Amino acid sequence: MLYVEKKPEKLIDENGLRTDGRRPREMRPIKMEVGVLDRADGSALVEWGGNRILAAIFGPREVHPKHMALPDRALVRVRYNMAPFSTPERRKPGPDRRSIELSKVIRNALEQAIFVEKYPGAAIDIFVEVLRSDAGTRVAGITAASLALAEAGIAMKGLVAACSIGKIGDVIVVDPGHDEDMWGDADMPIAVMFEDRLITLLQMDGPMDESQFSEALSLGMSCCELIYELQKEALRRPFVFVERKVVGGDQTV
Amino acid sequence: MNKPEVYVKDREIVIPGQKMARGMTPGDNVYVDKDGFLRSSLLGLASLEGNKVDVIPLASTYIPKVNDLVVGKIEKISGGTILVNINSPFTAVIIPPRNNKNLGLEVGDVVLAKVKAFDGMSSPLLTLEYEGLGKISGCVLLEIDPAKVPRVIGRRGSMLNILSSKTGSEILVAQNGFVVVKPRDHKSLMAIMKALNIIQEESHISGLSDRISRLLDTILSGGS
Repeated sequence: MLYVEKKPEKLIDENGLRTDGRRPREMRPIKMEVGVLDRADGSALVEWGGNRILAAIFGPREVHPKHMALPDRALVRVRYNMAPFSTPERRKPGPDRRSIELSKVIRNALEQAIFVEKYPGAAIDIFVEVLRSDAGTRVAGITAASLALAEAGIAMKGLVAACSIGKIGDVIVVDPGHDEDMWGDADMPIAVMFEDRLITLLQMDGPMDESQFSEALSLGMSCCELIYELQKEALRRPFVFVERKVVGGDQTV
Repeated sequence: MNKPEVYVKDREIVIPGQKMARGMTPGDNVYVDKDGFLRSSLLGLASLEGNKVDVIPLASTYIPKVNDLVVGKIEKISGGTILVNINSPFTAVIIPPRNNKNLGLEVGDVVLAKVKAFDGMSSPLLTLEYEGLGKISGCVLLEIDPAKVPRVIGRRGSMLNILSSKTGSEILVAQNGFVVVKPRDHKSLMAIMKALNIIQEESHISGLSDRISRLLDTILSGGS
């Protein structure tokens, strides 16, 4: 069957609802799970709206090729990859301009949170695999990778939470979906290391004036705080389950 | 100085970046941020002892330290070096003297060795030139998470004592997470493997020694 992208007539209707029925400040449903891969040192699966993102961490491990090793800190490598079946139309497998750029952007967002100087001469390899994409894969990828890093037992200053903010007409919307990403006016992904409010990723695609920008930034901060709460819960969950199994009884947590 | 404040309970699960205390002494895996708060740098268990705040890791990799006792498996013998797998991102080497090319070792042998030098860049250098070091024969090599080594040994060796006395086996736990077992029989080996798995999974819940001791009793008294 031929796939035709269809532009909706209006991105926000007269009741102020978006194409998927959300209000401007409503996020898509998010589910996070850690430890989904047995053979990786750390892993996480994030389901965020229509996104399905798998992150895996290997390391700290020996660097190959050896000449890439850094004497004073760990080498952080990121591969962001979209599966051929992740997009509405089949995507040619392999790295392209976009995924190379996103790998770099994700690496910058995460590297600042890792205590790289604790692992001199070693490599930390981060794999972000997009199984299904629905706008905002880079922020979902950062969120998943930061969970996987924590699960792998890598020393970090804090978790990195990320979220995207969009603009439709003059309305700032939170967490744009596929239609809003395609035909919206602006899009601003943000990643924050929440504990010391350090912004590790800030991009902007499309125009925003100064007041819109500051509204988007403060909205982005509060969204990242929500994401951060979910991340903390997801990391604790497996231990709570084991504890319940051992101690028995229903200790409501 | 401000009055010390603590925001976490002992043995509570902490997350990287979580605020733990203020005005206390930072211990292992704890860092101090620019406002003077002690924060965890790992996913782990908080440990409060006196004025000191530590985080016990729940998962880790082994990074060699000079003078650590490690157990390794010979991977390759070539030219002037012997390559040893020490359960770490780094493959270790033993450089034997000229007149004794392979020190009587073969690929697949298990050795107890000491880390002689490691600078983070080149391979860690091991030595066998101390009393009691060298090849270990007639044993089974098991692997655990290096973060769990202190749990398997227990307070003043208590957990290790339970394991070895109940199963009548010789057990050696090295810093790098390799465990060498000389089992009495098949059943005791199975019991030890089961117990090690439980220790790794449930070490964050108190009463571990009692549970392990009960588990060993049930397995060892059971038929077949």
